[in-house]
Amino acid sequence: MASPEPGNAGDSSTYNLSSGMEDGSVGSGPGTNKTCPVHISDEEEAKRSFRKGIARHNDYVKISVPESKVNHLPTEWWKTVIAFFYAAFNLVLTTVVITVVHERVPPKETSPPLPDKFFDYIDRVKWAFTVTEINGMVLVAIWLIQLFFFKYKSIACRRFFFLIGTLYLYRCVTMYVTTLPVPGMHMNCAPKLQGDTQAKFQRVLQLISGAGLSITNSHLLCGDFLYSGHTVMLTLTYLFIKEYSPKSFWWYHLMCWLLSAVGVLCILVAHEHYTVDVVVAYFITSRLFWWYHTMANLQTLKCSPNNYLTNTWWNPLFNFFERNVQTSVPCSYSWPITWASTCLKNPCKKYSMVQSSREE
Amino acid sequence: MKKVEAWSAEDVFDWLSKEGMPEYITVLRQTDGPALLSLTTADFKVPPLSRVSPDGGEQLLERIEILRIETHIEDHKNGHANGHIGGIPNGTSKPQRNGTLGRKDFEPEMIRIPIPTVEPPRPSFPTEWGKTGIAFIYAIICFVTTTVVISVVHERVPPKEHTPPLPDKFFDLFDRREWAFSICEINGMLLVGLWLIQWILLKHRSIIGRRFFFIVGTLYLYRCITMYITTLPVPGMHFKCSPKLLGNWEAQMRRIMKMIAGGGLSITGSHTMCGDYLYSGHTVMLTLTFLFIKEYSPRRFWCYHWFCLALSAFGIFCILLAHDHYTVDVVVAYFITTRLFWWYHTMANKQSLKETSQSNLLSRVWWYRLFQYFEENVNGTVPRNYQLPLSVRAFHWNRGVKYSRLDTQ
Repeated sequence: MASPEPGNAGDSSTYNLSSGMEDGSVGSGPGTNKTCPVHISDEEEAKRSFRKGIARHNDYVKISVPESKVNHLPTEWWKTVIAFFYAAFNLVLTTVVITVVHERVPPKETSPPLPDKFFDYIDRVKWAFTVTEINGMVLVAIWLIQLFFFKYKSIACRRFFFLIGTLYLYRCVTMYVTTLPVPGMHMNCAPKLQGDTQAKFQRVLQLISGAGLSITNSHLLCGDFLYSGHTVMLTLTYLFIKEYSPKSFWWYHLMCWLLSAVGVLCILVAHEHYTVDVVVAYFITSRLFWWYHTMANLQTLKCSPNNYLTNTWWNPLFNFFERNVQTSVPCSYSWPITWASTCLKNPCKKYSMVQSSREE
Repeated sequence: MKKVEAWSAEDVFDWLSKEGMPEYITVLRQTDGPALLSLTTADFKVPPLSRVSPDGGEQLLERIEILRIETHIEDHKNGHANGHIGGIPNGTSKPQRNGTLGRKDFEPEMIRIPIPTVEPPRPSFPTEWGKTGIAFIYAIICFVTTTVVISVVHERVPPKEHTPPLPDKFFDLFDRREWAFSICEINGMLLVGLWLIQWILLKHRSIIGRRFFFIVGTLYLYRCITMYITTLPVPGMHFKCSPKLLGNWEAQMRRIMKMIAGGGLSITGSHTMCGDYLYSGHTVMLTLTFLFIKEYSPRRFWCYHWFCLALSAFGIFCILLAHDHYTVDVVVAYFITTRLFWWYHTMANKQSLKETSQSNLLSRVWWYRLFQYFEENVNGTVPRNYQLPLSVRAFHWNRGVKYSRLDTQ
């Protein structure tokens, strides 16, 4: 830019001249970005003269950016559906593995709970696990509501499903290879069904329908200790909520962080998981989240030769999902259903208040 | 730009030709600036303007309007910061701005926008042995902490009669082989030896050494945490754990010293303590040395890489075959080691990841400041150059031909 000051003055003066045009172009469709006030579309005949006049002015230089017809953030709902099936498959696999592992858990009489530092200091509190599950459900609900109003839901959803699926897949592996004993004598494990496949199948269904929560009485199986699925959900929903909401909502982020932290702490207070389960779950969740999002946000990483972030096994899946996403997803919200805005009295005005896209 | 009010007939003539309205030139030959500004639609209804104007003067009047606005903006800019259209301050002069050529008339010439040329930083690899020293001390602290924690945890391991080994899928499939753990340790020592030799021959050994110490230190620090918080029982009944020294600090200190001296290997007889299962330190060393060897050796040495991979993989397999660690210990160790190694090296290789920004989520790890401290002066990917260490070179006499093949810096 030649100098910042004339640019600003020019922009604001042009903005005043073309303020009527601004509202008109914003309402032109859900997919268009906010029109830059300096670069007016050619259909605006009446304003073209202003533009030419300004352009001829000494200090105003029109740097014509070629209008890119490519949408940098395509919705591609079919990829989101594939991600959903991936997550669903992994969740079902997890329930099957839990059922299998349950048969192998040593009975608590022969294999007492392992020594755990947290359990030495804090005794068990009975209602703590309910707090965890309520916090988890609240966080998931908040995230779903936030997703509902998010402009780029398909992309955010896709990422959420992929990460959840991969984390539960890892969990299958760690649960299956080594079976930890129950963390406390209070745990009531359902009786073992040696070889009764029909009953096992029913158990799997029961677990899926109750989402593995003890509130819904579907958390009767033991052995799924390393690592903690509750921690994964609490941490992941918090990370997503924080990442896809405006940075200025610090009170909102704090509230969600408190929900998440209290939930995780209550898992330990309830003696439902060993401390190492929670620590490993937090570690794997946060690292995977940051890894994925850095790769998705920094386009230069995709073509860089010395990028070891692509050495993971899920890199082809990542490329498939994020190939056409060319910028980092901006934090913008809008009414999900377009007719909702027309029902309001002054649609353009309200729309411009809600549509506050902030390029991060 | 001269104000329109100050335009002479000549300026008007120039402007009309530029605007592409030559039809008015003849008629408005004697018009100067103020007269131009005072033109109205009424003037275009009567000759001579009505004869030459195709559209009743609409276009010309529009252009004049723009001129007027531009003058207002121009004057307004001179006096005010915000650009809202206000009155015209009299007698304000236009200050020179960066990049605009001073011009008297309204010629849209080329405008020079000086863009400060940012040269890409040239790759630089300063040695900075001080930082390597700090990394070394960090690694030593982590090793010592690990030994202390092992000693503490040993007191808490439940006796194997009381808590039998946990069910493990690998142990179900493969029975224990006694010789396996020695193989694992021999492989480990071979790999560490190979890595040491390779490191000595590297040109940028200070930077690479720093990285190795930092990553090893951090991995052992994580290991301290996971070992300490939950204690797993011994994986097999074959284990001989040394007796517990309840509260006898002196004996515990001696035990710690013995372990450090022996490197924690059972070949040296210092691996007598139990409880350090999650996660496996042997796997960490095997994996990490292989990753470093592969990273800092020429690409075309594929034979060498395959050999080291075989050593590493077989070593890890032997840990499990010896029933010395649970499978989950080995899996978690492999996962954490590889992820940390790739994370660190990707950040070190890309300049854009060395700054915290909204899109760089890799910077949210707790060790990011330490990483920045170590890698701030390293620009670019460290090349795989080799150079004999100084002490050997000093004794090199008259070996001109051989010397020139290596890097002589």
